[in-house]
Amino acid sequence: MSRLRIFAVVNLCFALMLGAFTGCTPREAKPKADVVIWHWMTDRQAAFEKLTEDYYKETGIRVLFETYAPTDVYKNKISAAATANLLPDVFNPMGDKKEVAAYINADFIADLTEEMNIDGWKDIFFEKALAQNTFEAGNEWNVKPGIYAVPLDVNSLMIYYNKDLFKQAGLDPENYPKTWPEFIEAGKKLRAANIQPFVSGFGEGWLIGAFAQSYQWNLFGRDGIISVLEGKTPYTDARWVRIFQLFEEMRNNRLFASGIVTMVNKDAERSFATGRAAMAFNGSWGVNVYNSMNPDLNYGVMPPPYLPEGKFPLLLFGGEGSSFFVNAASPNKQKAIDFLRWMTQSGPQTFLAKETLNIPSNREVAQDLPPVLRIFSENIKNTFEPLPKVESWQVTNFININLQSVIIGERTPQSAAAEVQAEKERQMKGK
Amino acid sequence: MTIYKIKKVLNSTLIHAILMSVALTCVFPVFWMISSSLKTQDQIFKSMSLLPGSLLDIFSWNWSNYIVAFVKADFGFYFFNSVFYTVVGVFFIILIASMAAYAFSRLQFFGKNVLFYMLIATLLIPIPGVFVPLYLLLKNLGLLDSRTGLLLCYISNGLAFAIFLLKGFFDQLPKEVEEAALIDGCSRFGIYWRIALPLAKPAIATLVIMNSLTIWNEFLLALVVLQDKAKMPIQRGLMVFQGTFITDYPMLMAGLTIATIPIVIVYLLMQKHIVKGIASGALKG
Amino acid sequence: MKLTLKEKLGNFSFVIPALALFLVFSLYPILRTFELSVFQWNGIDKDMVFVGLAQYKHILFNNPAFWKSMTNAGIITLLALTLQNGLALLLALLVTKNIRGENIYRTIFFLPPVLSGIVVGLIWKFVFDGNFGILNHFLAGIGFTNFIDYAWLSEVKTALFSVAVVHMWKGFGYGFIILLAGLQTIPVELYEAAEVDGADAWQQFKNITFPLLIPIFTIVTILTILGSMQIFDLIYSMTRGGPAGHTHVPITKIYEYMANGEFGYSTAMAVIFGLVLLIISFAQIYASKKLNYDK
Repeated sequence: MSRLRIFAVVNLCFALMLGAFTGCTPREAKPKADVVIWHWMTDRQAAFEKLTEDYYKETGIRVLFETYAPTDVYKNKISAAATANLLPDVFNPMGDKKEVAAYINADFIADLTEEMNIDGWKDIFFEKALAQNTFEAGNEWNVKPGIYAVPLDVNSLMIYYNKDLFKQAGLDPENYPKTWPEFIEAGKKLRAANIQPFVSGFGEGWLIGAFAQSYQWNLFGRDGIISVLEGKTPYTDARWVRIFQLFEEMRNNRLFASGIVTMVNKDAERSFATGRAAMAFNGSWGVNVYNSMNPDLNYGVMPPPYLPEGKFPLLLFGGEGSSFFVNAASPNKQKAIDFLRWMTQSGPQTFLAKETLNIPSNREVAQDLPPVLRIFSENIKNTFEPLPKVESWQVTNFININLQSVIIGERTPQSAAAEVQAEKERQMKGK
Repeated sequence: MTIYKIKKVLNSTLIHAILMSVALTCVFPVFWMISSSLKTQDQIFKSMSLLPGSLLDIFSWNWSNYIVAFVKADFGFYFFNSVFYTVVGVFFIILIASMAAYAFSRLQFFGKNVLFYMLIATLLIPIPGVFVPLYLLLKNLGLLDSRTGLLLCYISNGLAFAIFLLKGFFDQLPKEVEEAALIDGCSRFGIYWRIALPLAKPAIATLVIMNSLTIWNEFLLALVVLQDKAKMPIQRGLMVFQGTFITDYPMLMAGLTIATIPIVIVYLLMQKHIVKGIASGALKG
Repeated sequence: MKLTLKEKLGNFSFVIPALALFLVFSLYPILRTFELSVFQWNGIDKDMVFVGLAQYKHILFNNPAFWKSMTNAGIITLLALTLQNGLALLLALLVTKNIRGENIYRTIFFLPPVLSGIVVGLIWKFVFDGNFGILNHFLAGIGFTNFIDYAWLSEVKTALFSVAVVHMWKGFGYGFIILLAGLQTIPVELYEAAEVDGADAWQQFKNITFPLLIPIFTIVTILTILGSMQIFDLIYSMTRGGPAGHTHVPITKIYEYMANGEFGYSTAMAVIFGLVLLIISFAQIYASKKLNYDK
């Protein structure tokens, strides 16, 4: 026991000394903030802090950005704070529309529609960015129609391709594959040249789902998708089986990088940045990521190749990237809104775009971006259209898991589609 | 040399070969972690080399990660906080748990068995959502965003297992010494403090290591309960290095190295006690 | 012996601090979550919908994925109980043979439990990688060339086993150190006497070491069961439950439901999981007591 006590004392002294040396013991009292924002974007903290300084000089109002990462911890913190009624002035519930609706219906999130109409605030944004933060009349969660969040940036998901590796495999780097058969052919050539053709973070369910959804738009179109969501068209429909077949085709022609079904996107990004794979399905944030990992990477970007038999345009996953919601019960609501309004004006947006290499939500600022990012920003208009319904998370989960099953050859496209349909029926019955 | 001797040498060579190959797999990650912490981001992605540079020129290695971690990334006070939570938390877990365990093992009181099994049962039910009611509870007690609140959660979290282990230990200690002391007029507390507790050293050492590890590595509750950055533990600093989009690997590895060292020290200090005979009581009793 | 009330109260005061903390910070939140398990609630809505035992029924009869995750954890646990503890025992036996550097080994073998899950996940992903992994290079080096390109963590056949290997590697140090401690307390005289009687190494192990280690085995087994059934970090950092759900374990499943706003349902899952653990542990304690008395 005495040993333990000595140990404790020694440790404490050590810690105290350390604290003294690094000068980090009781810090000067923090200036009280007028607006507190909880966010999860660790890499942008420095840029945010710079902006709050400028804002303080301009208006005398103090804004405090606090980071909580990773995102699942952030999400836990927000939901705990909501239950205890202790949400900050600005936050993001980090959920799909159904979850956001729950926050709105519990009066945690302010309706910004009126504010958005003042001085045409809403007109400075990409339409798609605002659409995802908007609830339409007659939505299935009975949320009062309106705009509920301020988009900070936008993104879209496309396929990056390594021009040097394309050249190496005898492909024309300036003429990327436009259709699905061309894409498969290109993949075969890459494989023949001993290059892994395609990588993505397909271990994270949402990315594999995003890829599949592009083809759902391509084959079904808006009305067709709604019919699937409502359960009128089954997942065993030939078109959904075809979507599963796309993955089987990629598997059979050895397009996938080894281990893709358990790969997280950070590993996939690393793989592409180091030239271990020629193509990567990834979001526009990838530009910044690749830049930090390998500034000399010579790449271009293309939309996922469309299916010749597709009757509808192929759309991209994307739109709003990160958005901020205002606490409806906050006494500083107006100050918070004013700050967000300021943040989306061209000055701060230009600064953020430059510092973080994201596509700003402000359309005008997005005009002068580096070339690859400009392609992404021009494609924002081709992102998915808002839908009045969303698929239940269980069915979405089943789709993602069964896509993985097809990739590892565990299921045929038909049996995968049947599995998903069975889950869909279970969920429909549960309601 | 006799055949016996040759056999003995061969035998010990074989033993060392087995032990060393296992040891190698244990050391490699540490080596890799430290080596990566001395590289630049560029080196991490582009070269596969195990060393951060030439062995002859160690000054060219990227030592700055450690300086940046302490100065810019506030590792200094995160580190202090973690040491504080761990030391105080572990101390109280062991003090409170050993008293209770002693009572469960030796003393009679009302509802003893029911209480003991209830304790053990909670040990086995992992409730992932438990932080929500905990959060509300701390709010109602006015302990949100306070070191005390977080510590109370940590301490109560470690109690069940500590009581379970220590009770088993006390059960197997011989009773004769204590009975003699009782007759000599020693109080029950005196017996616990002077006789039972010192004998429990091996079990206590095990608990110190296990609970230090748990508290040192915990971050979910800390991040949910605390608001003020100045009270956050070291795990929060590590999270920031991981980045939402970009991971700064050398920085992360430097941070991990800093975060690993204290636990290794605790282990080195404690292992002697454990090995001296975790079961000395068990086997004699 | 009859105790006076005063003595009883005095005795009771030993458990008061523990009891107070336990009631407020463990039992109360747990009871609250039990309460949640009979409601359908997303964690946000002001009102919760009472559904009785419907969620339990759904989990028991309509959620094969959850039971599969339970089986997965069971497989990992069985592997850990046999291979991991076997390795721990072997190493402990070897280290006690009065060899040089015992201290060094003792320190080194405890490094994996100390290391952060992030480092372990990163390293082992690097080992198992299909194209650039150390393992495949090694296998190719000793002649097994058909493993080039084989992604260990992404194939149905090997994913769970690979994760289990890492889990066992990270965990054997605990068992090792506790078993080593146990071994060193066995009086040398017992072995000397056995040697005189002409007992060989195996007989010594069977008749002396093993029976005397049973109490230690109980601790190690319970630690292994709890640690393995509740495995989470490694799965999350290595496979996230993939490929196609083949490495999901109960805790990843419970988190998945919670992350999707199914608070009530996920707590019901946690309660069922807890009961399963409870039954296993008590069966184990019972069995080892039995063994102890029989010897």
